[in-house]
Amino acid sequence: MQYALLTYAPAENTDRAARPIPGAIAALLDRPDVTGWARLHADASATTLRNDDGRMLLTDGPFIDSKEYLAGLFLIEAGNLDGALALAGELLQETRPGTAIEVRPILEGRFRGA
Amino acid sequence: MALDAVFRDQWGRVLANLIGILGDIELAEDATAEAFAVAAERWPRDGEPVNPIGWLITTARNRAIDQLRRRQVLAAKTRLLARDLEAMAQPPEALMDEAATIPDERLELIFTCCHPALALEAQVALTLRTLGGLSTDEIALAFLVPFETTSKRLTRAKHKIRDAGIPFAVPPDHQLPDRLAAVLAVVYLIFNQGWGGGRVDLAAEAIHLGRALADLMPDEPEVLALLALMLLHDSRKAARLRDGQIVPLDDQDRTLWDTRQIDEGRALLQRAMTRQRTGPYLVQAAIADLHLYEPRDWRQIAALYETLARQTGSPVVEMNRAIAVAEIDGPEAGLAILDRLDLDHYRYFHSTRADLLRRAGRHSEAHHAYRRALDLAQTEPEQRFLQDRLAEIAATAAMRICDSAETADRGCHRQPGE
Repeated sequence: MQYALLTYAPAENTDRAARPIPGAIAALLDRPDVTGWARLHADASATTLRNDDGRMLLTDGPFIDSKEYLAGLFLIEAGNLDGALALAGELLQETRPGTAIEVRPILEGRFRGA
Repeated sequence: MALDAVFRDQWGRVLANLIGILGDIELAEDATAEAFAVAAERWPRDGEPVNPIGWLITTARNRAIDQLRRRQVLAAKTRLLARDLEAMAQPPEALMDEAATIPDERLELIFTCCHPALALEAQVALTLRTLGGLSTDEIALAFLVPFETTSKRLTRAKHKIRDAGIPFAVPPDHQLPDRLAAVLAVVYLIFNQGWGGGRVDLAAEAIHLGRALADLMPDEPEVLALLALMLLHDSRKAARLRDGQIVPLDDQDRTLWDTRQIDEGRALLQRAMTRQRTGPYLVQAAIADLHLYEPRDWRQIAALYETLARQTGSPVVEMNRAIAVAEIDGPEAGLAILDRLDLDHYRYFHSTRADLLRRAGRHSEAHHAYRRALDLAQTEPEQRFLQDRLAEIAATAAMRICDSAETADRGCHRQPGE
């Protein structure tokens, strides 16, 4: 099965774009069961479009306003939820305290090489 | 009725087997229900088959194939599954002689139902539905939850198992302790719900599940200990209420205790203790056992509660230790422990505290504590018990005032209950 791991990180002071991907995470990204990934710019860069009864409303900022922001996503292949949770757990160990990973099964999709 | 007994015993096994084949709980459930319906119609007429479970599994499997054929407009994947199934479809007779080879997959099923990715209420409902064979109605009634809510909860859980890929498997060794603890917690929660109400006999359901687990995992001390714990508690069920009133353990008619359950519980406890590992259920079962002796060994009980408090860090365990300590060193010593606990939301905390306050002669504080316990009480017998206690201390307090007063105050002539 394929799963998306959505990583929510607590706010940080330093410029996210200026920091390299931590080595331990970079190693995990090279695993064969990680089929794709995306690291997102900080939520200040987000623009949200909302369908309001057919009218497109545009707002500055992320859709969900919370202390944590969506920092990135991983697309992975795993035998079942336990396999996906195990990989998510490994990733989580390399993140900052307060980080959370939401594991969602992928219904269908297409992922081209980045 | 004989069929009911078969239903109770075999529902979980047949369903687990079907889920193992189909990988879809809803489809498996529908097919299993159909097979049992066919059995209910045919068995009384034609006689019970030689191998009821083989018959039920084969019939359910064939029903599932029919169901999948009817759905053939669906995706190619489903047709593939249907083709696989067709290869397996056999006349019921084929399984008749294979009783020994039918795998028991209830363990896989209970680990699926109690997967931590499901909400606890969903785990409980799903376990009762799939392994206990309870209807959605019965589950809703037992937990005083609307039918709609229970039904939605069950459907959502089944869909999550399917969509998120929650495995139908016994967890690997490194995960087993945590995952088994989750399973045992669900069973014990079902048991404790059964103690409070007595609507659907949930305690009996939990014991039934506990027995199945003890059969399937005979080398796990905590599994044996949980069953022992439930049996030792349940053995006192008949003595626990008299005319709708709660009877404290010391006042219970011991001839009403179920000695068969006590013997079975003690034998299980012995078996669990030989395994060299202590877990929270083993300690609790040992405590439950000690409570059945007269006089009670409060020092040993208090020591075991201390062990349990270390293992679990639970304030409720500390509360129980306070009761034991009060028996050894007096009510004030118990109250000193209670004062350190943050259990204001817990109804038994207030009734326990009230009882110790009453025994310490602090009647007005006891009155307030009983009132608070009464506000939180959930069943009628509990409410009646607490009301009686309130009346008792009111009477004692009134007598004390009369005793100490120089001239009798008018209020003192009132008898309680007038």
